[in-house]
Amino acid sequence: MSLKLENVTKTYGPVTALANATIEVHPGEVVGLVGENGAGKSTLMRILAGVVQPSSGAFTIDGEPVRFSGTLDANAAGIGMVYQEQSLILPLSIAENMYLGQERRFTKYGLIDHAAMREAARRNLEKVQLDIDPVRPASELTFAERQMVELAKALTLEERDVERLVILLDEPTSVLEQAEIDVLFARIRALKDRASFIFVSHRLDEVLEISDRIYTMKDGEVVDERPAAGARESDLHEVMVGRVLEHNFYLEDEQEPPQDSVALELRGLGSGRAYRNINLTLHAGEVLGIAGVIGSGREALARAVFGMERPESGEIVIHGKVEGIPDPSVAVRKGLGFVPSERGIEGMVPMLPVSENISLANLDSITGPFGLDRRRETALAREWIERLRIKTPGPAAPIRSLSGGNQQKAVIAKWLNADSRILVLDHPTRGVDVGAKHEVFSLIRELCREGYAILLLADTLAETIGLSHRVLVMRDGEITADIPAPAGDKPSQTRIVEHMV
Amino acid sequence: MAPPLIALIVATIAISLYNPSFLSAANLGRVASISAIPVLLAVGATFVIIMGSIDLSVQGVIALSAAITAMVLRVDDGALGSVLALGAAVVTGIATGAVSGLLHTLLRIPSFMVTLGMWFVSAGLATLLLGGGTIAVRSADLRVLILQRVFGLPLSVWLVLAIVAFAALMQARSRFGRYVVAIGGNEEIAKLSGLPIRRTRAAVFAIAGGFYGLAAALSVAQLGQGNVDIGDGRLFTTITAVVLGGTSLTGGRGGVLNSVLGVLLVTVLGNGMILMGVPPYLQQAVLGVLIILAVASSTARIREGVYK
Amino acid sequence: MKKFYQAALSRRAFLGSAASASVLATMPLVGRVFAQGDAPLLVNSIRSLSNPYHAAWNAGGEAFASRVGLDYVTLVTEGDSEKGVADIRGILARTGGNAVVNVDPNDAADARPIVEACVEAGAHVMTQWNKPDDLHPWDMGPNYVAHMSFNGEQYGRTTAEVLFEAMGGQGGILALGGTLSNTVAIQRRAGLEAALADASGVELLDYQVGDWQSSKAYDIVNTWLTRFSGQFGGIWCANDDMAIGALEALRVNGMSGQVAITGIDGIETAVQAVIDGEMVATVSWDPFWQGSIGLAIPLRARLGEIDPESLGKDKREFYAKGVVVTAENAQAFYEANFVTAPELDVDDIWARYAGPIE
Repeated sequence: MSLKLENVTKTYGPVTALANATIEVHPGEVVGLVGENGAGKSTLMRILAGVVQPSSGAFTIDGEPVRFSGTLDANAAGIGMVYQEQSLILPLSIAENMYLGQERRFTKYGLIDHAAMREAARRNLEKVQLDIDPVRPASELTFAERQMVELAKALTLEERDVERLVILLDEPTSVLEQAEIDVLFARIRALKDRASFIFVSHRLDEVLEISDRIYTMKDGEVVDERPAAGARESDLHEVMVGRVLEHNFYLEDEQEPPQDSVALELRGLGSGRAYRNINLTLHAGEVLGIAGVIGSGREALARAVFGMERPESGEIVIHGKVEGIPDPSVAVRKGLGFVPSERGIEGMVPMLPVSENISLANLDSITGPFGLDRRRETALAREWIERLRIKTPGPAAPIRSLSGGNQQKAVIAKWLNADSRILVLDHPTRGVDVGAKHEVFSLIRELCREGYAILLLADTLAETIGLSHRVLVMRDGEITADIPAPAGDKPSQTRIVEHMV
Repeated sequence: MAPPLIALIVATIAISLYNPSFLSAANLGRVASISAIPVLLAVGATFVIIMGSIDLSVQGVIALSAAITAMVLRVDDGALGSVLALGAAVVTGIATGAVSGLLHTLLRIPSFMVTLGMWFVSAGLATLLLGGGTIAVRSADLRVLILQRVFGLPLSVWLVLAIVAFAALMQARSRFGRYVVAIGGNEEIAKLSGLPIRRTRAAVFAIAGGFYGLAAALSVAQLGQGNVDIGDGRLFTTITAVVLGGTSLTGGRGGVLNSVLGVLLVTVLGNGMILMGVPPYLQQAVLGVLIILAVASSTARIREGVYK
Repeated sequence: MKKFYQAALSRRAFLGSAASASVLATMPLVGRVFAQGDAPLLVNSIRSLSNPYHAAWNAGGEAFASRVGLDYVTLVTEGDSEKGVADIRGILARTGGNAVVNVDPNDAADARPIVEACVEAGAHVMTQWNKPDDLHPWDMGPNYVAHMSFNGEQYGRTTAEVLFEAMGGQGGILALGGTLSNTVAIQRRAGLEAALADASGVELLDYQVGDWQSSKAYDIVNTWLTRFSGQFGGIWCANDDMAIGALEALRVNGMSGQVAITGIDGIETAVQAVIDGEMVATVSWDPFWQGSIGLAIPLRARLGEIDPESLGKDKREFYAKGVVVTAENAQAFYEANFVTAPELDVDDIWARYAGPIE
């Protein structure tokens, strides 16, 4: 069957997640879908899977308009999705997972016929050449096996009255090893006569390898379509990240050279395959950006610096002293602060007021002779709100009621209040709108002038280059390049990408 | 199901080595008859806990159902009245559970809050009905369930066995049983698979209530009276038994037969510790240690599942 | 319980009490006319109305209030100490201290804030059962009129003695105690131990904790039947609920009436069991009386009919007498308390005085 989205738009309140997207999937085709975080890939996939409904535009199958009110409708039309987060219920058996919600087909006198269900599951497992007993609970499978089971689950849709399937694969390779990925690709190729696929991945090499045709998305729009044959990774990357930026978007004019003193030094840091032999030097007043695709090891490295994961080898040197950082509480004492990408989960306590979030990492700052001093806490919060220009109704407002940018500023205020001179910023502008981004950038510049040292994992390559004094590029757990990025002489994205992939 | 079964076998061997009369037919019969009511409660609670929820209303539902049972018996303590009383107890339990379930699903209130509230609401209602008093039903026909023996065991034991068999079948082979595990395992995925989440959730609480109601009727028959305090202490032993049986408080894992084993383990240990002359203060401590062990071992299993 | 609850307020009971009005010397309360707005409010503070014990307590309070013609309220703590204290403070604020308070504190520690609030507001208060050991009426002035309790050790001992007698002074017994750390449970057990020390022919085979619950007692007695089969002739229980559980466990094992059982508390089903010969004794505290005498004593103090300051310490912290119910008086006791309305017994406030609390 042939599937088509035409000028489809999806808005969430004032936010446009998908704008006038048009894509087509032909029978027996593998269509690749690439784009940066927040480019709209997931929204598009969710519309196809029936999880969300488009705000406007046409969705047709074989020329017939369709409207799904849920995943079941999409299933009935022959569209199945293999989710990025593994979607097997671990305590249930493989067979039970594959037919979850479809038990009626196997029910006699109110009882489920386990044997028949097992048989049917086995037939579908054979399609993906997975020789595994369907009575085993999903929890016993490896991630790769689970991925195959999910694929087989999508293939059970063939038993319905549909001609061909469209199977949506949302980052299916993110947890797989290379050998497992090869197997998955072999299965996908073998299944092309049964189904079409839409393949989403961050790894451009994979997309190029498996796809027939590739769509590129950026800022909610489909900006490019090309055959995979003859395309190069760097081409795709340019389309993905390339955007016309207003002059001085990253406040390069305010960028000043860093100081000479070294704040943080990593010597030969390594942890299994996640990252190896990492050497870096971060100066006071410097923004050191780390670039790399998912799986490059930069997230794990950032977490290790803050003591959330333990490196297996190497040394962490803070202000010239070798320090062991077994857990975050020690990191905080040594003057480190961490602004995590999962702001809602790791960065703040959503229902607590702004004031209590700011004082959280340094309660000593508000401790008086009779324990915690509310008045001092409020006064302190007011100071930070003013200094960082946090827009809030007041110190007592719950932090979750603030906008993303202001939440982020409050989280940074927490670390400044804790006297953290070294800040690890993990995607500080994720989920933050453009205006607020500007505020965050401005704050980063100001902190540099005051001698703070910042290790930055930015959302996009442009942001990494724009904000940093230097960019370290990581690939497969190793540093592959150390590129200076002084104001007025920023390296091109292509130069960075060369070392990333 | 293996760890609680092993624990039960080990306990049985240890106790009978110390006091051989543990294995006498009379004592095993007593263990069975003492276990009948806790088994009903634990089986009902099992469905709730597998679903990842908790039901704290056990004692309140027992109080209300017992009050209604006793009131029916006060009017007619003959055969007809007894059958009606039994039915009324179950219906009361189902109704109370259904209210919990509907409040929980429609208003999206966490189950522990809803059922905590229902505990006090139904206990209050029972107080109102009984005026704070006790209704003695010592000559009611309902008591044949406890006093009449068939093949050496009270009728109540056979009744409970039949119900356990039915519940185990329902859990293993019905769509409903499957949905309960799926919701407890991962509600998001269950929702994406199109399962009727709310209906299943509400039904689980109603069914659990029905089990508690039946248990209440048996309690009235056992003690020959109905009052508000008749269920005192049952919540703790119920949840203890379910957890000891290996049903995970985080949902998704466990089963009816696990809980039967859990109840037997609690009863056998209680029985055995008295037979062995363990001092009362140690008995409580032993149960406490067992619960911690059971919870620790079940969380370890979950971790293994995630990080494999 | 509802039976006498309603009957207590019936016309018959009212006439009955009016008939004794001639004995003015002992009953000066009746007929007293208060100026408008001057009449004190009678307050009973108890745990809940869901147990027969406190329901009867409340009925006694209502009957007394009806007889003296004063307004009456019941406060229930529902086991929540803070609620108990807060409710009493609320009443004191509302009445400006013109109240007479009879309280069964939820917890011993609650007695102090309650008493202090009453004293400060100028109300008259009496406590029962629980209070801190270092809180004494004579330290708090005339408004904390008295504290009354029952001697748990004495009655634990009395029921044990009746039990031994029923067994002919020979044989083994088993004992079911209340919650391990509970003061009352400890006292009653001490009474049992004292009785055992004096009875050379009786041996305590095992002591288990039934947490005051009949279902737990039922399970324990079932197990005892395995361990001590044929070795025991009596079961001593620290309360009636456990005694009921014990006798039902005997019944299901076909041993009904073959083992003597005693309880404490005097609940209706236990008294019935004594009548039926399935229990040999229980002790009633007469909560109907507790609910009425606990108002009568502080009310007299408020009206100036007794002067707390001139009462000896022995009258301000005292034990009252319980009623030991055995086969001899069970039928009569049942009739008087559960069939017809209990008689108010408040005319001689020291009629059931048993002695000072040591």
